[in-house]
Amino acid sequence: MLDFLNSQGTVYVSMVLGAVLGLSLYLPLLAGQLSLASPGFYALGGFVAAVMSTKTFDVDGAYPVPLVLVEFVVAAALCGVLAFIVGLAALRLSGIYLALATIAFVEVLRVFSLNLELTGGAVGIFAIPQPFGTQLSYLWLAGPLLIAAALFTWRLEKVRVGRAFAAVREDELAAASMGVDVTRAKITAFVLGGVLAGLAGVIAAHQINTWSHRQASFDASIAYLAFVLIGGSRTFLGPVAGGLFLTYLPEWLREQAKHEFLPTWAAEFLRTGRFIVYGVLLAASCVFFPRGLITPELLDRLKRIGRRRSGSGGQSVRPEPEVAT
Amino acid sequence: MRLFLQKLLNGIAIGSVYALFALGYTLVFSILRVINFAHGAIFTVGCYLTYALTGAAFGRNGQLRNADLPVELNFWLALALGALGAGVLGIIVERLAFRPLRRRGSDPLLTLVSSLGVAIATVNILQYLFGAENYGFGETLGSMRASVELAGGELPVVIRTKQIVIFAVSMVMVVALTAVVNRTRVGKGLRAVAEDVTTATLLGIDTDRLIRLSFFLSGVLGGIAGALIGLAGSFNYQFGVAIGLKGLAVIVLGGLGDIPGAVVGGLVIGVAESFVPAEYNAYKDAVPFVVLLVVLLVRPQGLLGRAQVQKV
Repeated sequence: MLDFLNSQGTVYVSMVLGAVLGLSLYLPLLAGQLSLASPGFYALGGFVAAVMSTKTFDVDGAYPVPLVLVEFVVAAALCGVLAFIVGLAALRLSGIYLALATIAFVEVLRVFSLNLELTGGAVGIFAIPQPFGTQLSYLWLAGPLLIAAALFTWRLEKVRVGRAFAAVREDELAAASMGVDVTRAKITAFVLGGVLAGLAGVIAAHQINTWSHRQASFDASIAYLAFVLIGGSRTFLGPVAGGLFLTYLPEWLREQAKHEFLPTWAAEFLRTGRFIVYGVLLAASCVFFPRGLITPELLDRLKRIGRRRSGSGGQSVRPEPEVAT
Repeated sequence: MRLFLQKLLNGIAIGSVYALFALGYTLVFSILRVINFAHGAIFTVGCYLTYALTGAAFGRNGQLRNADLPVELNFWLALALGALGAGVLGIIVERLAFRPLRRRGSDPLLTLVSSLGVAIATVNILQYLFGAENYGFGETLGSMRASVELAGGELPVVIRTKQIVIFAVSMVMVVALTAVVNRTRVGKGLRAVAEDVTTATLLGIDTDRLIRLSFFLSGVLGGIAGALIGLAGSFNYQFGVAIGLKGLAVIVLGGLGDIPGAVVGGLVIGVAESFVPAEYNAYKDAVPFVVLLVVLLVRPQGLLGRAQVQKV
C-alpha cells in the first residue's frame, strides 16, 4: 500500500498544489476581479525557492525544512509587493480587459525569466535541493498549505473583509455608496491571490527539482481558470475540487492505458492522445455543468441530507436566495 | 537608411499577417463580446491543412506516418481549400463551445474555458496525427524567384517573394472583409448583431446564422494567416499558442471589436517588433505585451476606439 502511495506521490502533490492554485484565482474573483496572473506569481515563487536554495543557502545532504519556511516568507513578501503594484495599476480595468492585462503581465514576466541570468535563462535552474526523500513526503508542506488556504478562504467569506469583497463583486457602485473601500478590497483580494500562488510555487520548485520560464505559461492561466469555473466559483470548495480533479484527470487517463483488455490502438490513444480527451471533457463540463461541479445548492442539499440522518430534521432551513452575477 | 527600409518592410510583412489573424479574433469579439481562445488552434489547422494539400510528406512520429494523400495541389489552391477547412472548423467550434452556452444564457466567462477545451483537443489531434516535429514549406513557391532586390547598388534592400505573397494576400483579405462588412446586406446584419443581439433578433435578423457566418469568416482569416506564417518559417502543432497571444495584444491595441483598429494594431506591433535592436532580440517576444499593458493602462479603448461612457 505504501509503495503504491509513494509511486503516485508526484501526482498527489501536484493535485494538492492544483487545488491551492485554484484558490489563488478564486480569491481575487471573490472581489469580482478576473485575474489570470496566478502562473506569474507561481513562477516567481518557484524562482525564489530555486535561487535561494541553490545560490543563497549552500547545504549538503537533505535540505532543511526550516529553510523552505524562510523561502515561503521571502516569496510571500516578493509576490505580495508585486501583486500590490500590479493590482494598483490594473484598478481601472475589469472583466475581460483585466484578464488580458494579467495575461500580458504573465507573458512579460516569462520573457524576462527566459533572458535573465539569475533565473537560468532558457534552460532554467537545475538540481534544486530536496528537503524530502520521497515525493509523497511533500504532502507535509503542500497539505497544510492547502488546509490553511481553504480554512482562510472559508473564514474570509464570513468576516467583514470578505463581505466587502462580495459587495464589490455584486455591484461596485452600490458597494462604494454603502461605504465599502472598493480600492482596498480589490487590491487586498489581488495580493492574497498572488501570495498564495507564490507559496505553491516554492513547494513545486523543490518537488519537481527544476524550474524554468515554462512554468509561467498562458495555457496555465486558463487551466487554473478552468479549476475554478469547472469546480464551481460560488464556494471555496469549488476551486479545491476542480484543482484536485483536473490535475488528476490526465494522469488517470494515462493509467487507464495499462488495462490489458484494451486493444492496442485504444491504449496508444490514451497514452499519446490523452490531452484530446482532456480538452473534450473541459469543453463538455462547461456545457453540462455551467455552474461548476460544486454549487451552494449542492452543499445545501448535502447538509439537509446530513441533518435528516442525524434525526434533528424539525426545522426547515430555507436556502439562501440566489444572487445573479 | 537602407537598414531602416529593410526593417520597415520586414515589419510590415509580418504585421500584415498579425492583422489578418487578429481580424478573426476581433470579428467574433465584436459580435459576441467574448474571446475565442480556439482561434490559435484554427490558425494551426489552416497551416497543416494547406501543407497536407500541397502533397508534402507527413513526418515520422504521428499516426499518419508514411501516409500519402492522393492530391498534390499547387500552393494557391491548397491555401484556398485549407482556409475553407479552417472556416468549417470555426463553425464546428461555434457549435460545440459557444452555442450550447449561449442557449443556456450562462456566464460568458465559461466560453473562455470551453473554447480553450476545444483548442486543446484540436492541437492534440494534430499532434496525434502529425507528430510533434517541425514542418516547413519548401524554400521557393513553385517557379517564383526567392527574392527581389529593390534600390540596387551594393547593399540592396531585399524582399523575399514570400513576404510579398504574405503582404498581398493579407491586404486582399483585409479589403475583402471590410467590403463585406461595410457594403453588403450580410455585413449590415453583422453590424446589427454586433450592436445588440436581442434587438437584431427582434428585427427579424437570423442571429444564429450570422454568428455562424462570423465564425466561418474568422476561421478562414485565421487559417490563411496560419498558412502564411507557416510559409515564412517552420511550424509545429503548438505554434498557434504564441500567435494566439500576440493576436490578443493586437486587438487590444486596436480596440476590442474594431476592424480597422485590428489592421493598424497588427502593423504597429509587427513594425515595433522588427525595430527591436539586435542586442535586445531576446526580449522581442515581450514587446507586444508591454504594448498591451501600456495601452490597457493608458487608453483601454484602443488606438482608434472611442471611450465608453459608463451608464449607471
